[in-house]
Amino acid sequence: MITEMLPNKICVITPAGRLDAVGARPLGDELQNQINQGNARLILDLSGTRYISSNGLRIMLRARKDAEGRGGSLKLCGLSSRLLEIFEMAGFDRIFEIYPTREKASKSFE
Amino acid sequence: MNEYSLAISSRYENLAQVTQFARAIALDFGLNDREADDVELAVDEAVTNVIEHAYRGNPSGIIHITCALRKNEFVVEIRDDGKPFDPGKYRSPRTSGPISERAIGGLGLFFMRKLMDKVEFRHGRTHGNLTVMVKKVKA
Repeated sequence: MITEMLPNKICVITPAGRLDAVGARPLGDELQNQINQGNARLILDLSGTRYISSNGLRIMLRARKDAEGRGGSLKLCGLSSRLLEIFEMAGFDRIFEIYPTREKASKSFE
Repeated sequence: MNEYSLAISSRYENLAQVTQFARAIALDFGLNDREADDVELAVDEAVTNVIEHAYRGNPSGIIHITCALRKNEFVVEIRDDGKPFDPGKYRSPRTSGPISERAIGGLGLFFMRKLMDKVEFRHGRTHGNLTVMVKKVKA
C-alpha cells in the first residue's frame, strides 16, 4: 500500500493485493488514519487491485461517510472492468465518483 | 473423479487459498473465466460469513469445502461445526438511493445470490451449518 500527498492536500492511497477480509483491514486503518489527521480529500487508486469482496466495499463506504463528515470526500480511480462490474452490482457506481485516472480524480476536487 | 475437498481452519488468512481452490476447480469443470471469478467471490463471501457468524472469529474452527460437478451444475458445499446461523433472515441491502441510506452490512449475502444460480442454507439445531451454492455449467 502506498500513501501519497499531492500538493493540493489531496491524499492518494494505492492498495496492493486482494481487498478481501484480510486486505481490507490495513486499507481501512490507513483511510481512518488519514481522515483523523484531517486529510479528508481522498483518492483511492485501484489500478493495482484485481480482487475485491464486500469487505473491501464496506470499508470504502465507511471511509466515504467519514470523509464527508469532515468536509471532504473519497473518490476512486483506476478500476478494472471486473471491479467496475462488482461496483455496479452493489450499486456503488451510483454513490461513488469514479474516474479513469488519478489526475482526473484530483482535478474534480478543484 | 468429479469432486474435490479442502478443509481449512476458520482464519481470514485462509480465504485466498480456499477461494482460489474453488476458482481453479470451476475452470476445470468447464466454467469460463468470468464465471470462475463469480465462484471465487461467492465462496469468499460464504466462508467469511462462516468465520464471522458460525465461529464468531474463533480461529480453531474447521471449515470443509467441497466442489463437485453434478450433471451440468457446479456445486460448492461449505460445512462448518459452529453456531447455527440463518443468513436468510437478513434483508438485502439497498443498492440504490443516496449514500446516507446505504447499509454497511448485508452485501456479502447479496453477492452470493447475485453471482450464483442457487444458494441454500441449512443448519443443525445445536451446531453446524451447510451452505450450498450452485452455478450452471453452460454447454
